[in-house]
Amino acid sequence: MRHLHMSLAALGLLAFLAITNPVAAQTSGNASPGSGGPSASAIMESVYNRPKPSDTTALLTMTMVDSKNRERVRSLKQLSASFGTADKKIMEFQSPADVRGTSFMNWSYADTSRSDDQWIYLPALKRVKRISSGGKGDSFMGSDFSYDDLGERHPDKDEHRIIGNDKIGGEECWVIESKPRDSSYSYSRTVSWISKTAPIGFRRDYYDKRDQLLKTLVIQQTQVIDGFLMITQTEMHNVQNDHRTKMSFTSLEVNKGIREELFAERTMTKGL
Amino acid sequence: MLAVAGITILAGISLFSSFRMETNLDEYMPKTHPAFIYSEEANERFLIKDSILIAVEHPDSIYNPETLGKLIEIEEALHSIEELADSRLQSIHSADNIVGSEEGLDIRRFYVSAPTSQDEADEIRDAVRKNTMIAGRIVSADERTALIVVELPESGFSNKLYDKIMGLSKQFSGPEILHVAGRPIVEGTLAILGPKDMGRTGPLVILVIAIVLLLVLKQLRRTLITLAVVIASTIWAFGLMTALGVPLYSVSIMIPVMLIAIGVAYAIHLYNQIDFFAKGNPGADRLEIAVNAISVIGKPALFAALTTVAGFISLVSSQVYPVKYFGLFTAFGVAASWLLTMILVPSGIVLWGNGKPPAVSRREINGSIPFGARFADAISAHKSLVYVLTGFVLLLSLWGISRVWINTSFLDNFEQSSPIVQTDAFVNRYFGGTSSVNIILDSDKPDTFKQPEVLALMDSMQSSVMKLENVGDSQSLINYLKRMHFSMNAEDPAYDAIPGSSDIIAQYLLLYEMSGDPDNLWKVVDADFRGANVTVQLKSDDSRTINRVIDKAKEYADDFAEKGITINFAGSGYKSLIFSNLILSGQISSLGLSVLIVFLLVAFMFRSALLGAIASIPVLISMVINFGIMGILNIPLTTSTALISSIAVGIGVDYAIHFIAHYREHLRKTGDEAVAARFSMSHTGRAVLLNAAIVISGFMVMVFSVFPPNRQVGLLVSLNMLTAFLATVTIMFLVLRKSSTILKERK
Repeated sequence: MRHLHMSLAALGLLAFLAITNPVAAQTSGNASPGSGGPSASAIMESVYNRPKPSDTTALLTMTMVDSKNRERVRSLKQLSASFGTADKKIMEFQSPADVRGTSFMNWSYADTSRSDDQWIYLPALKRVKRISSGGKGDSFMGSDFSYDDLGERHPDKDEHRIIGNDKIGGEECWVIESKPRDSSYSYSRTVSWISKTAPIGFRRDYYDKRDQLLKTLVIQQTQVIDGFLMITQTEMHNVQNDHRTKMSFTSLEVNKGIREELFAERTMTKGL
Repeated sequence: MLAVAGITILAGISLFSSFRMETNLDEYMPKTHPAFIYSEEANERFLIKDSILIAVEHPDSIYNPETLGKLIEIEEALHSIEELADSRLQSIHSADNIVGSEEGLDIRRFYVSAPTSQDEADEIRDAVRKNTMIAGRIVSADERTALIVVELPESGFSNKLYDKIMGLSKQFSGPEILHVAGRPIVEGTLAILGPKDMGRTGPLVILVIAIVLLLVLKQLRRTLITLAVVIASTIWAFGLMTALGVPLYSVSIMIPVMLIAIGVAYAIHLYNQIDFFAKGNPGADRLEIAVNAISVIGKPALFAALTTVAGFISLVSSQVYPVKYFGLFTAFGVAASWLLTMILVPSGIVLWGNGKPPAVSRREINGSIPFGARFADAISAHKSLVYVLTGFVLLLSLWGISRVWINTSFLDNFEQSSPIVQTDAFVNRYFGGTSSVNIILDSDKPDTFKQPEVLALMDSMQSSVMKLENVGDSQSLINYLKRMHFSMNAEDPAYDAIPGSSDIIAQYLLLYEMSGDPDNLWKVVDADFRGANVTVQLKSDDSRTINRVIDKAKEYADDFAEKGITINFAGSGYKSLIFSNLILSGQISSLGLSVLIVFLLVAFMFRSALLGAIASIPVLISMVINFGIMGILNIPLTTSTALISSIAVGIGVDYAIHFIAHYREHLRKTGDEAVAARFSMSHTGRAVLLNAAIVISGFMVMVFSVFPPNRQVGLLVSLNMLTAFLATVTIMFLVLRKSSTILKERK
């Protein structure tokens, strides 16, 4: 049992991997590293600093497919908002039926020394429980996404370098390799495909500690909502065990002015 | 001769260029067997992997800043080993502690960095004591030993990895003692000791055989020729083995001893005839002597070789690969030594002469004739005593056979006092057990294992299995659910039970999946909850322990069937059990096959079914005695001891073949039953006695093996040779005499 980091984490992806058109992740051609352009760190900074909506609501459908093509589908309603010093999120399960109504709330703080506050509500117990935890869990809800994959990693934590140019779906990209400065990070390195025309990413490869390709993340669909580029469909493929997790967002709404009072135990017991 | 030398050199090159020992037990198993296929699938479904266990023992208590810090250092060192970079580790450092209270749930590691004071170490101790998932499982009850469980990577275990882990354990020793255990380590130790053992018994058997040959043949030249034959045939066999890419299995360690001990027999019989002929025909030249020896001994020696080959070949019917290969390559080696004997011994005579007829030998032969004859007369005079004694021994043996048991324990390959057995015993004393068997439950319906009544049945099966002898621990979905229920209800002992509704179970599991390490969950249940895995840890890997668990679990099969659930088994312990049944069935089929082949060969050779049957008497008797002794002395049937009787049939019948051949020949020549009896007993009896003595002395060398099963094989084969020899010159001799009239008529 570890961290109940049930942030609307998937939406954190948006800052990093927003794109203008539905893109099929295809690579073609391979150019030499750019010269005279912006530095790799500057590119990653601009991606990190992209504008984000202050609140979002969405319905998330998560489909997990194992190597034998067996599917598990879960759907959740989710709510998230930023309130200056804290980001607050609630997720509530819609299906499968036996977990319907189960909800999770997370408050994370700008002050990184302060650990997240978390609560769970299990309808069968009819009680909200406070969860305190030390570390971060490996996997987001048992999917192929880890919390690390979904969170926004500050560019300062890695050393970046442009290792090539590539085209994905007709879009010119920089291929940037990022190596962690701290060896405790779950990956030995990541390689990201970042658009040359906008501060957005298309694809990312994750390498394990033995420097073997572990997972590939691709963006399958996006949508512009109130001027924000939102990913509506994405897939993480663990190439080592051939597991896939597809996330798709529907009923996506942004900047609805969600009140802070909504992020409370009462909301969890009542349901979203 | 040049050709022989050339082939030997080629085989030797092949041998030294690509030689490897196979110690991965899975490679010993037939991969197409349904039980193995199921077990492999289950291993994949539930992430069942072999683990290495590192036990860190402190003289007083592990709860001090240094030892707790050392656990972190060891884990880091393990992860820095390339093969283990992604391995899952389990220890009090890496495990999570879940503490429930009225308000909520606290989930955090017992400690992340090394404690800086004794007070901090004491806090860790108090936290561990309260957690039943951890205390007694990865820290011993007396708090002196902490366990680090290292899951092996897919790439498996190698000698290199073994060395690295052993080096690491040395590096971190003091004041703590590091014990390294687990099946992979046992296999790794075998890989190192196996070739060493062969390197020791191989030369020793050559030395012993050389001395015995010198004593028997009384000539350096003959001794050297005979030794050259058996050494060359051994090299041929191993050369062929490596050329075909067949690795060395633990039973193959016995091949050199077998070939050297068996291979000298043909030369003994040839030289016996050469001396006999030279004595009777002082003027005969070299060629005459050689031609006579071949014409007299050639046929019985050929059939003796054929029956021995048949005995080994019958092992090919076994489904167990090491046994199959052992049979095949030893058979090849025996055939090679027969061929080489028939080429080298006569050509040696032709090239270098017969040497000085040993004067001592003559006197001995002269001296032994009366003895052999007297013995023949004595046996004939006390027929009923022989029959009664034989009957008594057989009855006693039959009682012994009823006590024979099968053991597939891999650890029993080692001495009780060896470090590997001691470490294993240490870990078993303080923890759940170094061996395991998995009980796999399957249903067609998704979410079956969220139903409280299904889980209650599982719980009751698990607890009754836990009560069995040598069962140390067990893990299943039940453990997780009870712990979650307990923690979510403020650690009220009333909630240390299976929750009452499938919804609450589903929600607990979702909570676990979201917040914990879901891989822990997928080790005990399928993601769609159609299947569940109960891991039972055992303190012994012998078949009796595993069988008890399986029998107990099967008692619940009907109750599970009512709920549409089937019960199956998996894991290395279970595979060992299936393996033991294969050994037994292989044993019976190859034994039957070898007796049949031997009977047919002898019957064909003598053109007489009756003589075929008579020749089978000594081997049948020695076979019964063999199993009887195994039962009486509590020697279990193992991959090694299972080989004995088919081999013994093949070798043991040789005495009967030589004896019958000479008896019949002399009977036909002289027509006098008593004369033929005396002659065959004194002339052939002597050769057969020497033959048996040499084989026995060769096999006795295996008593110096570091592996107890190999020692047992050495003793048992020696015993078989002795009983086969005794049976040949006593009871078979009597039956043969009784059939004399028929033999004469058939002329």
